[in-house]
Amino acid sequence: METRIPAIKDVLRTLLQADFTTVWRNRRSLRMVLLVPILILISWKGAVDKIGPAVVMASAITIGLASIGLLGYSGTIARDRDKGVFQRLRVAPVPTWTIMLSRISIQVGLIALMTLLIFIVGFAVDKISLSALGYVTGLLVTLLAGWLYLGLGQLIVALIKNPETVNSTSRLVYVAFIMIGMLGQFGAFGKAMKDIVQWSPYGVVQKALAGSLQPLSWTSDHTMALLATIGYTVVFVALGIKYFKWDNK
Amino acid sequence: MTNTIEQLPILNVDRISVYYGQFQAVKEVSLDVRPGEIFGLLGPNGAGKTSTLSAIEGLIKPATGQIKVVGFDIVGQPLYAKANMGVQLQATSFQPELTITDILKLYAGVYGVKLSKEEVFNRLQEIKLEDAAEKKFGQLSGGQQQRVSLLIATIHNPALVLLDEPTTGLDPQSRRQLWERIEAIRAKGHGVLLTTHSMEEAEAVCDRIAIIDHGRIIAIDTPERLISLHREDPEVISVSRKGRITLEDVFIGLTGRAVRS
Ligand SMILES: Nc1ncnc2c1ncn2[C@@H]1O[C@H](COP(=O)(O)OP(=O)(O)OP(=O)(O)O)[C@@H](O)[C@H]1O
Ligand SMILES: [Mg+2]
Repeated sequence: METRIPAIKDVLRTLLQADFTTVWRNRRSLRMVLLVPILILISWKGAVDKIGPAVVMASAITIGLASIGLLGYSGTIARDRDKGVFQRLRVAPVPTWTIMLSRISIQVGLIALMTLLIFIVGFAVDKISLSALGYVTGLLVTLLAGWLYLGLGQLIVALIKNPETVNSTSRLVYVAFIMIGMLGQFGAFGKAMKDIVQWSPYGVVQKALAGSLQPLSWTSDHTMALLATIGYTVVFVALGIKYFKWDNK
Repeated sequence: MTNTIEQLPILNVDRISVYYGQFQAVKEVSLDVRPGEIFGLLGPNGAGKTSTLSAIEGLIKPATGQIKVVGFDIVGQPLYAKANMGVQLQATSFQPELTITDILKLYAGVYGVKLSKEEVFNRLQEIKLEDAAEKKFGQLSGGQQQRVSLLIATIHNPALVLLDEPTTGLDPQSRRQLWERIEAIRAKGHGVLLTTHSMEEAEAVCDRIAIIDHGRIIAIDTPERLISLHREDPEVISVSRKGRITLEDVFIGLTGRAVRS
């Protein structure tokens, strides 16, 4: 009997199919993740003239990224780990990284879908139209910044074992992002808070995104925000991988 | 290539130790599973059965010792070792969103088995679950879930099958049926390593058993020989009932009466 190892591309295709089905059938969570940023975009229609179309759009996308990383991704990882889904996969002849790569790829696909929806709704409802370049760079920066929130979700799962605690913690962080981030950035809590928010994971992503949606008016502030985004991402992802455990014991 | 595998034991575990932090759960455990053998690992709760299996499955790296599956080292060549084993974990579940068909396709895929629609149906029919194809795993009864788990553990026709308490919670009919499936694996010349708390099961299906306690193997032999070797032990006689010495008496005699924490 000769031992045959399944080809990586076949393994990945199979895992992707299962992970896609999981996200797709989880309609409630999917709707939530896509609906929240769209609602924000629609309800902020009146603010487009005051704070600029790019900022409105960037805020909605940032919230969308936070929803995906904190409400969607971290919850399913924590749940599946608790149920032993990962352990069962890990005893199969597949490299461990394929299991996570597949999960994350589906989330990245979801991020792209969310961004496209925001672009479409922004155009149709808020009458925001960007340059073709703006749409492209906006999507690229979104895909980059998405890793920050996936990394943050991963870090929460790495530090907390119990899936219920993971859920409540990620919700808390999520609400903090919305409340403090959105309101704080406009100085609702004073100058000091505004500065903190500006350099928080919420602020830097929103800033970098706003810049990327209008690339022709990109400034050094935007560069700083983008660098900070990358910095946060590296830290969250590195710690999230370092402390992650595949089982719950 | 063909010859070398047939000459080797299907599983060779050589003096492995497993630690959780400072706590040593498995102490220098050695055992072999030979072709066409059903090997039972018996022991009280917390004895180290699942930990031993986890090391064989590559889920935990043993601190010392070596594990070879048809000659492949689980640490050195994990993918080759894993490709030769099928696993049913003690506590396992599948994504609740997936149907039985989805789960079957997923595991066929990760083991490199291509299944057509018809083959999926046939496999499910073999375990009398063709009507459950579109059900979720959580909607099945415990016995049906066990059948699915065993089907997945053997989907790639592995040389070694590891089953952690496969019959716990099954009714007598399902248990008998599972025994027959396990015996069919043996009939193919493959090896089975299972854990169980049922002495009746160990006597009925296992060719050899090892009794493990506090992480150490304290006896290893055929069930019949274990009984005849220990039938004169005072501890064994003192726990026997109705003047008959059973495997359970030997088990309790060797591992003590105390309930484990
Ligand atoms: N992840 C872990 N971290 C710390 N200790 C553990 C872990 N897993 C198991 N143990 C301990 O190791 C010992 C052996 O556990 P194991 O699960 O191997 O026992 P078992 O023989 O399978 O028991 P059971 O019959 O109850 O399934 C126990 O004392 C258990 O508490
Ligand atoms: Mg166990």
